[in-house]
Amino acid sequence: MTPARFCLALLATTLLFAQPSFAEPARDAILGQLAAEAKQANPAFAGFSAERGQQFWQAVHTGGRAETPSCTSCHTKDPTAEGRSRAGKAIAPMAVSRTPERFTDAAKVAKWFERNCNTVLGRACSAVEKGDIITYLSAQ
Amino acid sequence: MIAGYVVAGLLLFRAVWAFFGAPYSRVASFAFPPRQVIAHFASLLRRRPAHYTGHNPSGAAMILAVFAVLCLLVLTGFLVQGGVEKQGPLAAFTTYAFGMTVRGIHKLVALLLLGMIAGHLAGVAAGSLLFKERLVGAMIDGRKPGAHPASSAAPGRPLAGFGLFALLGVILATALLLLSRLPPLGMPAIPADRAMLTECGSCHRPFHPSLLPRAAWARLMADLGDHFGEDASLAPAVRDEIARYLELYAAESWDSKAAHRFSVLAAGDPTRITATPAWQRIHRGVDPALFRSHAVGSRSNCAACHADADGGRFDPQAIALPEGTQP
Repeated sequence: MTPARFCLALLATTLLFAQPSFAEPARDAILGQLAAEAKQANPAFAGFSAERGQQFWQAVHTGGRAETPSCTSCHTKDPTAEGRSRAGKAIAPMAVSRTPERFTDAAKVAKWFERNCNTVLGRACSAVEKGDIITYLSAQ
Repeated sequence: MIAGYVVAGLLLFRAVWAFFGAPYSRVASFAFPPRQVIAHFASLLRRRPAHYTGHNPSGAAMILAVFAVLCLLVLTGFLVQGGVEKQGPLAAFTTYAFGMTVRGIHKLVALLLLGMIAGHLAGVAAGSLLFKERLVGAMIDGRKPGAHPASSAAPGRPLAGFGLFALLGVILATALLLLSRLPPLGMPAIPADRAMLTECGSCHRPFHPSLLPRAAWARLMADLGDHFGEDASLAPAVRDEIARYLELYAAESWDSKAAHRFSVLAAGDPTRITATPAWQRIHRGVDPALFRSHAVGSRSNCAACHADADGGRFDPQAIALPEGTQP
């Protein structure tokens, strides 16, 4: 192996393993699963969008409970802030920068999307909507 | 309640003093033979009562009556405290139902005592004004005109009296304290259920299982899809575990105040503890703004004000409004 080739191999290895510090395999797996579902539902699916996620997060929805028309009803407009359940219990910030274990437990993610989409929208959320939200909150 | 313990102490002292106090404090000076009592009341009617240096027979009767009524007040107080609040020396032996019955008697006895206080003051006033007895002054300085040293009676033995009072006081206080430490009747120690604490606790402070009857818990756990306006669905296995736990330790298994009172459900809203008639009555005087305040947040946040809510006790002494919410 020539020194030049050695350097090239070293660089490739470094790039392969050096991930950004906020990356989290469990969260990536959840997003990967959602992406696969989205692709299956719509072959033209081209990836999740933090911007769409933010719009969905802040939107006032209809179809769900009147007391909770939006994600922000409990989680507040600022994802880095603490939220509050209707019963008065504090909810840790949804932003991954503030609560790093967010979206790392697939069962928990599934449970809360099922409950909260039903409460806020009166229906289940699509894979795209879930992926967009996770993408948005992971960047916060 | 503290007043009750003070009264108990005073009664004990007075009982000891009836044997060790000065001659006119002793039981012999106010136990009159019936003939003398009749003669006394006859003389009262003629408005020429005979003079007594100590208590006259009507005064003596009042002493005995007040003593008996105060004893009854203390005893019924212990029964109410033990049965209803599950506190104090009789908590291990008194049911809630019995405590609630006795509570009515306790209130009546208190009213009776008030009436007797009025009668007592009237008697002193009558003796002082109508019959020109020096009663109030004598209570303060111990002197009464016409008093002659009761030569036949032995002098009081205050040291022995105080000694016996201290001894009996220590024995009685220790006994009361030890009795108070016994586990209260119908307040079993129960294990914690991790699934219940985690799942219920993710949205609200978990409620103690004693706060609803079995049927209400079953009904509530059967409809988690619409849980007071929220979808709180759980995986069937988790739901079943929590339901089993709640029903096993439901109100029927307890003899506490909260378990009994919240078992009477609201007809139109039979799973909401805060809708029960008892909850509504108890919190009638609470400012609605307090429940909305940041520190409380909602009516369902019992522990915001009741420090012992998680154990289902709800002692009156454990209530403290969160800081910054006091009016």
